[in-house]
Amino acid sequence: MGLALAVDSPLTAPVEDDQALIAATLAGRSEAFGELVSRYQRAVYHLAVRTLHDRTEAEDAAQEAFLKAYRALATFRPGAKFSTWIFTICYRACCDRLAKRKRFSGEELPDRADSAAGPELLAERSDEAERLRAAIDGLPEKYRTVITLYHLQGKQYEEIATVLNLPLGTVKTHLFRAKEQLRKALTA
Amino acid sequence: MSYDDDALDLALAALPLEEPPADFHARVMAATVYRPEPAARPWEVWLLGTFVALAAWVAWIVAATPHAGERIVATLSDAVQTAGLSSDYVVLWLAIGVSAAWWLSTITVPSSPGRVEAK
Repeated sequence: MGLALAVDSPLTAPVEDDQALIAATLAGRSEAFGELVSRYQRAVYHLAVRTLHDRTEAEDAAQEAFLKAYRALATFRPGAKFSTWIFTICYRACCDRLAKRKRFSGEELPDRADSAAGPELLAERSDEAERLRAAIDGLPEKYRTVITLYHLQGKQYEEIATVLNLPLGTVKTHLFRAKEQLRKALTA
Repeated sequence: MSYDDDALDLALAALPLEEPPADFHARVMAATVYRPEPAARPWEVWLLGTFVALAAWVAWIVAATPHAGERIVATLSDAVQTAGLSSDYVVLWLAIGVSAAWWLSTITVPSSPGRVEAK
């Protein structure tokens, strides 16, 4: 059974559509970029929230991603997927923020499970989606990001590998372990 | 409830995305396409600032030095003499050279038919 893509229209839309919007933006049609933002804002914000665990920071990171994408739009490679590109920019913005946070607090953030989402909290969240969300939040950062991109991009492992700049095998291993941990958390 | 691979995939697919704040789109647009162009680029501001500072420094030197005006005029006329610019022939050839350079810069060379414009 295939995993349906989590975003309404953007990721199921043909690549040409995004290309046309990018070309129109570069030609000076501002509403074309507005359409791109409308398509991807939820997915980009979702990735930032899941990676950073902080809505205010996620908002800034997502906005920064769109700003950088807009400035670098002329360098966008024709034929590439805009979703992969914007997710990559957003993920890097999140990594920068995580690195800053780590530098200032001395926390081991990237590989640390979220202590706020322990088994007690999981038990309190009765709703399945909430339990799943809490279980994802409880994953170490590297697994959480892989599972979030899997959620956003579907079974497009190569796209996930591109966004995270990881080998394909590592992505598959991380995904396998992330699912194992999620299963354990959800059945506990 | 037990979660096999398919059930977990289904649960993940059904997980709603986080909703960005209502004004998120407007803020992104304001920071990108609707952002007013700055009156001057940073390097232009730096260049202008450098010129102003240099001009102020020269003005200060001139004001502080006795007979600075006469000295500057003398130095400049010496430089003109040394460069040969006081000679009519040199000035004539210089004018011809500048005119030729300007004329060449106005010529438009047509691109070859086989060349494809980069998109």
